[in-house]
Amino acid sequence: MDKKSGNILVLGIGNDILKDDGIGPKLVKDLQKETFPEGICFKTSSMGGLEILEMIRDYNTVLILDAIKTKEGMPGDVYYFNPSDFHETMHLSNLHDVNFITAIELAKKIKLSIPENIHIIAVEIVEDLEFGRSLSPELEEKYPEILEHVHDHLYSKLFPAAG
Amino acid sequence: MKTITIDPITRLEGHGKIEIFLNDEGEVDNVYFQVPELRGFEKFCEGRPVEELPSIVTKICGVCPGCHHMASGKAVDAVFGVDPSPTAKKLRELFYMAHFVHSHIAHFYALAAPDFVVGPTASPAERNILGVINKVGIEIGTEVIKQRRLAQEIQALLGGHQTHVVMNIPGGVKKGLTEEERDDIVKKAEGFIEFSKFSMKLFKDVVLGNKDYVDLILNGPYSLKLHSMGLVDKNNKVNFYDGSVRVVDTDGKQLYRYTPKDYMDYVEERVEPWTYLKFPYLKKLGWKGFVDGQESGVYQATPLSRLNASDGMATPIAQQEYDYMFSTLGGKPVHATLAMHWARLVELIYSAEHCYELATDPDITGKELRAPIEKIVGEGVGIVEAQRGTLTHHYWTDDKGMVRKVNLIVGTTNNHAAICMSLKKAAQGLIKKGIPATEGTLNMIEMAFRAYDPCFSCATHSLPGQMRMVVNFYNSKGELIRSIGR
Repeated sequence: MDKKSGNILVLGIGNDILKDDGIGPKLVKDLQKETFPEGICFKTSSMGGLEILEMIRDYNTVLILDAIKTKEGMPGDVYYFNPSDFHETMHLSNLHDVNFITAIELAKKIKLSIPENIHIIAVEIVEDLEFGRSLSPELEEKYPEILEHVHDHLYSKLFPAAG
Repeated sequence: MKTITIDPITRLEGHGKIEIFLNDEGEVDNVYFQVPELRGFEKFCEGRPVEELPSIVTKICGVCPGCHHMASGKAVDAVFGVDPSPTAKKLRELFYMAHFVHSHIAHFYALAAPDFVVGPTASPAERNILGVINKVGIEIGTEVIKQRRLAQEIQALLGGHQTHVVMNIPGGVKKGLTEEERDDIVKKAEGFIEFSKFSMKLFKDVVLGNKDYVDLILNGPYSLKLHSMGLVDKNNKVNFYDGSVRVVDTDGKQLYRYTPKDYMDYVEERVEPWTYLKFPYLKKLGWKGFVDGQESGVYQATPLSRLNASDGMATPIAQQEYDYMFSTLGGKPVHATLAMHWARLVELIYSAEHCYELATDPDITGKELRAPIEKIVGEGVGIVEAQRGTLTHHYWTDDKGMVRKVNLIVGTTNNHAAICMSLKKAAQGLIKKGIPATEGTLNMIEMAFRAYDPCFSCATHSLPGQMRMVVNFYNSKGELIRSIGR
């Protein structure tokens, strides 16, 4: 398949019935309500590893939104990675699969068409071990700020001319 | 804005832990395996219409959503006391074979092959799917990605979505198959058969062709004499979607053969204070602790157990490979944990062949997709074989079909006790006094764990990382003396 020239994918990863774990898909749903220049596509997934490879192939640019839990992080902290400084977020790896970096290297090795630009945004979360559709109160409070951060990043990095 | 680099071992939360306790002689005394717990699924389901559950359960696991969808669909059928039409059952099974094809390919090439093709003590930088491809060729890597994608296309076509499947409704399926769609699946299934045969040949060349590997499988610290569980059809052949649960003892003699609705008469779950994940065991034999042998209540539900518990495979090439495997390994049952990889490839061939059989079945394009719903029984059990073990969904509803209670026994949970025992046995066999445990040692302990293709994302929760595992060593006073992370 030919590369979708100019196409941008914003991919929210997480489980939307596992409280804060669903921060990525929730951000995507809210971003979708806004008006963006043409050529942008929004998707959500709860998968990692090779599954992600299938979702991002043939796009020029991908922005991945995921959750992360670190020992020192504060709820709502937003981290920006690219593959060179990235290790692992919650869903970009998988016990049954390969991690994201390996998947990208595999794609390059077999000459699969993958995005030239990969941006990863991870949001520090609190609760991802309990089923529920709502965010934790700590993350809910920070949510408007997080959405704004992500929105600004989208414009500054993906649509610099429009921003 | 900040850019940071995270060391997954020292800074990320939520890893699995293997705790190894040494005795005064510096040898392994005991091993505990722990993973984070997932809470509240039952509460989340309570009060919802039961017919919503097949779609909801696809979200409790990012690895085997199709398995939960199938078990749930069958449990919901039972709640409504309805038997789907032959076409509906075959469409579900066709979806399920594609699910097995893509999952078993992933396990073999991404998780099993690195240990054998690259080597069990090779550098972790090379011991991965990239290392496998470096050894066997780029074209094989291309085929792995291609065949998985084609299997997922079948799942997306039949299931409405490859992951969040919306196929099953009470009494049947939402959507049928056109002749054109069927023809496309037939072509894909032909490719699956060829690729699964190739994968088996690769296993034979690389593993069986290497005396050290055969010795590791048969004589390494990886064998447990446990009872075997698996779903079988009316001829006692392996079946992933439907049938009776059969359990054979450590000598291969049938212990039980029961219908799914009776599972609570045969399986009970034990709680241990050091982990949230339960330990299912055979109720009639009772819990005798983490011990193997004929008297133990511990069982395995794995690809190898399924083959042990059956009288054969229902498709011709898989049957040949079944016979060859057991004859090579000294007859049934086989208790070598690492032989699970071989059994998984026999199952891959079966899945591919059965995918073809179903796609060429005249019923598959039938128009009768749903049986009418006429009553609410109020309770239902659905059992399928997930890739990593027997999967049970049990629902109770009120007289309006609203969920009152849910019980799940997921594939990996069946094997929880066996996994702990396998880890202990491997650790005891590989860690010796005065010999420091290396990364290679850790990997060889993990091989005992990895053979089960464990998935804790529904047993507990998705670990935030690829095998992020910390191994802690404690001395006989219980003091932490060493920690290896990866």
